[in-house]
Amino acid sequence: MNAFSENGELLVRALDEFFDGLYGYAMVLSRDRTEAEDLVQETCVRAIQASESLRPGSNIKSWLFTILRNIWLNQIRQRRSTPKLVELEADDGPSAVAVEPSKDPHAAYVAKVERDLVREAIQKLPEEFREIILLREYEDLSYQEIATILDCPAGTVMSRLGRARSKLRGLLFDTLQAPERREKGAQ
Amino acid sequence: MSHHDEYNDEVLLYLDNALTGDRLKDFRAHIRGCAECKERLEQEQALSLLLRETRPLYVAPLPLRDCIAAARESAIASAWASDDLGEIRSASWKEWLRSFLHAGLNWKPAVALTLIVALCLLFVPETMQRVRATEYVEAATEIHKKYISGDLPLECRSASPDAVTTWFAGKTPFPFRLPSAQFTPAGKTKYSIAGASLVSYKGKPAAMVAYEMGPEKITLLAVSAGSVVAAGGEEVRSGELIFHYRHNANFAVTTWSNRNLTYALVSSSAISAQNPCLVCHQDMADHLVFEHVR
Repeated sequence: MNAFSENGELLVRALDEFFDGLYGYAMVLSRDRTEAEDLVQETCVRAIQASESLRPGSNIKSWLFTILRNIWLNQIRQRRSTPKLVELEADDGPSAVAVEPSKDPHAAYVAKVERDLVREAIQKLPEEFREIILLREYEDLSYQEIATILDCPAGTVMSRLGRARSKLRGLLFDTLQAPERREKGAQ
Repeated sequence: MSHHDEYNDEVLLYLDNALTGDRLKDFRAHIRGCAECKERLEQEQALSLLLRETRPLYVAPLPLRDCIAAARESAIASAWASDDLGEIRSASWKEWLRSFLHAGLNWKPAVALTLIVALCLLFVPETMQRVRATEYVEAATEIHKKYISGDLPLECRSASPDAVTTWFAGKTPFPFRLPSAQFTPAGKTKYSIAGASLVSYKGKPAAMVAYEMGPEKITLLAVSAGSVVAAGGEEVRSGELIFHYRHNANFAVTTWSNRNLTYALVSSSAISAQNPCLVCHQDMADHLVFEHVR
């Protein structure tokens, strides 16, 4: 078995598995659908080109998220001197809305409303809080994995996550205090 | 710092089921006796539940998934087009990789592998170029829709090509040029410039120029050819230029690249397809050529 085929196989599986996660990370970083799509595409292309550098036992999920973040940081550096722009990006299209087919229509509607509220709240957070919430709460990455991606100590990840959650709780106060949600929490 | 702050990390670790032994016992004892920390823990648990229930936060759009899958498959299909392993020619990248993985490494696959790796690296960018060209059409259409719905006001209102060109100076990272460079004073103007706005394309400044003919509105988007190169659609060559025509969401979109800029002209599909061409060519000697373009 050669390195290319082994890594290529791993990469294909990983891209399939983490595609939504990468897109979600791109969305919380850029807050722009078109930019997020571009980030994911660039990530895929770079990952394919660099797949031979993967070593056995590499954490491919962290690797992909790191690639995406590096592309994003490079773009930020390049645009520092650009003037303020008119934002033109549309809201997410219907295909970007996650719907669980098993839910009844009311439950599906409530889930969608709550997801929209959570998205909106997360997008109001500063970038460093947005990304840490996504990586920890939605991607289930460990503190150490997040520390590797963000290139900071694990202790910083934990304290930043605490502050991010605190801020998010404030933004979602009304949602968290809704009677239906309080009942769920009590169960 | 209150003594409750000492338990911030403990709360997170408790939520992760990562507290064990004496630390877990101490934490539970503290929670039993501290109403403030108990309330905080309950709030954190409620937040965790809400976040868990809203997974996944985003789902990648199907067209994006399709684009990536198509890019892989196109690369592989192109790579295999000239070899003798037709049985896997139509296989997806994933299937092909699996096939190769189990095929063994005699000299023929090894040579083919080298060729494929090289061609993959060549064709993926080409495919991505087409993907970007499609995205550019989408973006131009969105901008046009925002403009005609009134959501994108004109920042510069002028019918003068020179005034519009001057207005963009220093605002875009490229020297903006209107595509009509050979206006002649003769001839009655069919379209007029309504004005211009600075817009964003993939986070970079782009130029949008609005044209009008009676109630009909046409927009022109211009970006650096470094961001995107016109591709796809129905191609019509005119001199050294290649125009790419397509319909997108009930709009006719014409794209072309020229002198380091890529343009997209968007108009309603209801109007004759050649009319937008006359935005640039109405007063030019070659306008008859464009009146015959479908």
